[in-house]
Amino acid sequence: MDSRLAKEILLRYRPGTADASDQEYAEALEQAKRDPELGRWFAQHQAFHNTIRDRFKQLPVPAGLKEDILAGYRPAVTPVWWQQPAVQALAAAAAIVLLLGVAFFWSQPREDRSFAAFQNRVVRNAQRGYVMDITTTHLGEIRQYLATQGALADYVLPALLEKLPGDGGAVLRWHNKPVSMVCFDLGNHNDLFLFVASRGDLPDAPSAAEPQFTKIGNLTAASWSTGDRTYVLAGPGDEQFVRRYLGR
Amino acid sequence: MAHNDNDSRLADQQDFELHVSRYYSTLYQFAFSLTRNENDACDLTQQTFYTWARKGHQLRDASKVKTWLFTTLYHEFLEKRRRQVRFPHHELSEVNQDLPNIAPASVNELDSATVLQSLARLDETFQAPVALFYLEEHSYKEIAGILGIPLGTVKSRISRGIAQLQQILTHDAGSRPAMRRRPTHG
Repeated sequence: MDSRLAKEILLRYRPGTADASDQEYAEALEQAKRDPELGRWFAQHQAFHNTIRDRFKQLPVPAGLKEDILAGYRPAVTPVWWQQPAVQALAAAAAIVLLLGVAFFWSQPREDRSFAAFQNRVVRNAQRGYVMDITTTHLGEIRQYLATQGALADYVLPALLEKLPGDGGAVLRWHNKPVSMVCFDLGNHNDLFLFVASRGDLPDAPSAAEPQFTKIGNLTAASWSTGDRTYVLAGPGDEQFVRRYLGR
Repeated sequence: MAHNDNDSRLADQQDFELHVSRYYSTLYQFAFSLTRNENDACDLTQQTFYTWARKGHQLRDASKVKTWLFTTLYHEFLEKRRRQVRFPHHELSEVNQDLPNIAPASVNELDSATVLQSLARLDETFQAPVALFYLEEHSYKEIAGILGIPLGTVKSRISRGIAQLQQILTHDAGSRPAMRRRPTHG
């Protein structure tokens, strides 16, 4: 390593942090010991670094900020009303009916593997609350993660979606087949959800690249197929709003 | 059942309080280094924790809470700035405010406000990486994740940002009016 490169590396060396265990810095520090001129520069730079670092860490935090944050805390879910005995009794009755319904459903010989059922399941899953396997703004990282999980990662994104920051991604299952979920951050706490499945796993999937729209709960879903991939894009707002992100 | 639910809510609240206690100071400092405005920095910090209260359960890896919070704060900042660029707003007191002269020997005498004003004069792409660098809360890899840029780019921006900051602080030879500090407490 020459002194010019060592200087460039030492410029961003932070003593007392994990940087010290990084081989890159170890080599540059060695070079500073061998080269007296570099050593002098480094000593001066360290003094500068320590001063600026201290000033950043000394930025005063307004009194009462912590209390303000804590005072504004609202838990994500506040299901208080249903704890009342009458509502609980009703819920118990409903649960029995539901159980009977489920038992009836499972006694039927066939499973609903239709595309409508698939679309309904994944979009409602997005509304009910879901867990992302990876949270990152980087669409490339999401794609890479999905690939490492054996999920579908060769999807083609419409140009406008490519420009959005990611929110995260996850691998879902539909009748034991992988479905990739990619979340896009729209800002203001809104997300767009893209689900990608293998066309062969969805016998009556849309055959055309022209999207079909449907409202599921409070989300609008667009579905289309390209190559051997079927896509469902769900987002807030109406057809017009979702269509915008498809560039159509 | 009700007991379980109450226990769960209590645990969530304790969890929230723990994260606030651990990270609110450094999050605020990062927010302030981005906005240079106390009110905006407080808003960003509060908003970040409220987003955490709503969405934090989506994060499976508890060791990534800190990075998640910084990433969310940075997104909120970018979002607010996008809106402000569309509807620019200047306060008279913020216009024409500039740095004092700083001789090389006087680096030790710099205060936080002066350093922050110098940070504001860096190329915009250097500001957030340099702030995260000096706050020393994250590795380079984590900084790359927070800012959504590749690791090599982070290192390069930090190096160039520090060099620019040094230049501003030690070689600014122009005659400038005295700088005013914003009132802060605590």
